Amino acid sequence: MKLRSILAALTALVMLAGCGGSGGSGGGDGKLTFFSWDNEETMRPVIAKFEEQNPGVKVEFSNAPPVAEYISTLQSRILSGTAADVFVIAAENKTNLINGKHVVDLKDKPFLANVPDFNKTTYSGPDGAVYGLSVASWGAGVLYNQDLLAKVGATSVPKTWDEFLALCKKLKDAGITPYLESVQAMSTPLAAFLGAQNAAAGNQMDSKIFDGSAKFTDYWVEPLTQWSRLWQEGLVTRSVTGLTGDQVRTEFSNGRTAMIVAGPWDVPGVRKEAPKLKIAMAPIPGIAGGKPYLAGAASPGYAINAKAKNKEAAEKFLAFLDTPEAMALYQKATGAITVTKDFQPQLDEALTPIVSDVRAGNVYLPQIAWKRAEDILNVEATAQLQLLVQGKATPEQVAAALDTKLASTS
Amino acid sequence: MTGRLLASVPTAGAPTATEATRRFSWSRAREVSANQLFLVPVALVFVVLLVVPLTQTFYWSLTDFSGYSADAKFVGLSNYGKVLTDPSMLAGLGFTLAYTIGTAVLITAFAIPLAVVLNKKFFARNLVRSVFFFPAVPSIAILGLVWGYILSPLGSGVLNSVLDSLFGAGPYPWLSDATLARLSVIVVAVWGGMGWHAVLYLAYLQSIPADYYEVATIDGASARQQFVHITLPLLTPAIVISNFLLMTGGLKVFDLPFTLTKGGPGYSTYTITQSIITSGVAQGRYGLASALAVLFTFAVGLVAVAQLWVSRRIERRVL
Repeated sequence: MKLRSILAALTALVMLAGCGGSGGSGGGDGKLTFFSWDNEETMRPVIAKFEEQNPGVKVEFSNAPPVAEYISTLQSRILSGTAADVFVIAAENKTNLINGKHVVDLKDKPFLANVPDFNKTTYSGPDGAVYGLSVASWGAGVLYNQDLLAKVGATSVPKTWDEFLALCKKLKDAGITPYLESVQAMSTPLAAFLGAQNAAAGNQMDSKIFDGSAKFTDYWVEPLTQWSRLWQEGLVTRSVTGLTGDQVRTEFSNGRTAMIVAGPWDVPGVRKEAPKLKIAMAPIPGIAGGKPYLAGAASPGYAINAKAKNKEAAEKFLAFLDTPEAMALYQKATGAITVTKDFQPQLDEALTPIVSDVRAGNVYLPQIAWKRAEDILNVEATAQLQLLVQGKATPEQVAAALDTKLASTS
Repeated sequence: MTGRLLASVPTAGAPTATEATRRFSWSRAREVSANQLFLVPVALVFVVLLVVPLTQTFYWSLTDFSGYSADAKFVGLSNYGKVLTDPSMLAGLGFTLAYTIGTAVLITAFAIPLAVVLNKKFFARNLVRSVFFFPAVPSIAILGLVWGYILSPLGSGVLNSVLDSLFGAGPYPWLSDATLARLSVIVVAVWGGMGWHAVLYLAYLQSIPADYYEVATIDGASARQQFVHITLPLLTPAIVISNFLLMTGGLKVFDLPFTLTKGGPGYSTYTITQSIITSGVAQGRYGLASALAVLFTFAVGLVAVAQLWVSRRIERRVL
């Protein structure tokens, strides 16, 4: 009796499981698996639209939050052969994915024509192959509180770093905290200085460092020196190393600091916390005759798994992702600065001064531009920058530490 | 006692000695095997979840495994060489040791007196007990984020504004100065762990018979003498357990320093586990991370064994 009831239960279970399985593989083109680092709320409208237009395909969505959790989940799925057909390729794992031949070359796919060169090169291999469809970019600059600036008679934003430091001094003398930046990741001004320098040198800076014909000390010392003047000249407290980006933003929203470094993602938060604040974003002022520039990068791209079970549907999905329709849904959910040529994103007016540069790809971030060992160098750079801010390392020592680290990874 | 006596009395019709032994051993064997049957699931879980991964980790530590492709090259002990010469990993080792010893000593020093106080009868005792126990309830990562705001180095930080309004002092760079950051992490850990360990001590305190104290009071022992000569020695088993947990937990710490300082400034609050996770997952250096993990496992094992050995000796001497 007992045995029979157990058997019956087991049969029921097997049947149930069978139903679940056959449900997915129903339609014509079948099932497409998609692993994203955006959450379900963001991606659901896009997927729903895709399924509506492709009745045969059912998208099975899964996600993990960026960055470490996403990277480790994808890593274990790839190793066990259970990775999704389409997944996100990011700066943090692109080298490993490309070198391990886990992603498909998209170079000749028609949907890439809609994407600017900058986003293509970010996820390209050494042979000109392109491994990710990146549909957005971000740029980070200085966010100004225009009312506080007006208090010291500043009506326009500074164009050079010297002017910027002079403005900091003026604000400080007026009893206003001039500027804050969290030093728990790569510094935005430093990245912008390096970006301007790299653009002026024909985008050869990092290739030279990584092929051994130049060193970090050749390029980094001057930008580091200029950046560290904020602390050398006593304009900003050395305590900033312990601040998170959120804390910096709260200080700004509460009107306690006149300028912060910020990305597009900070603007909605500031608007919510302080709707009446008059704000504007601008690129980081230039050093040594260089132009103002933005720190920033191409957003993570969508890649097709080299072992995808449904390559055809995966290509269809990518082709759909950069249509104006899909972009409109994605942009609405994320507020991202999308870069596809046939869609104009609706953005906060505070971002107007940076949008065209971001869309054109005039942004730079060292850990994206580096050719290998990106995260190893990034962790080292962050720690070294904190020492520099504390006055415990010189710009020369910081640059030399990066050279040492790079040498230890080859 | 009666059972043993009865068993030794020979009775008529009893089986011969050899038969008895055989039957005895059979039933005993059956009993033992039945008992051990219960161990099978545990052993399976142990092998699958511990022995296999540990062996694998050791194997990967000898290769240049990136975590993305199973065809890794054998590189011998070079990963171990890299681990032992990397300044960030050595810094991680230093802070992990400081954290472990610091929290173990401070929590023990605060939790025992706290438990003694909480053991006394007073108004709203249960409420006070739960207030002290509370920090053990939420996840340490959440505590880290909350304390991040409290210890904000800006003048607007909670602690700094309190200090400013009370004494006109500060602002202090709680999490931005290497020494202060290390201290802050340890102090928050002590704050978070003290209540939990006090409850552990409380449980042991309640098992000490009240007569001891009555007799001591009659003999004219002062409160201090009672604490030193009765409470402390009888708490030795609790001290051993509490410190064992503190030492092993401290060596494995990750969440609190990471949420408070991300390991900074510089590498001053970097931990070994952060090193393992960062290099293994984000940096695609599984081989290297495995080597670090193997060394770390050995170190934790050594510390645990040494600690047990020392505490056994102390226990034997005291009790």
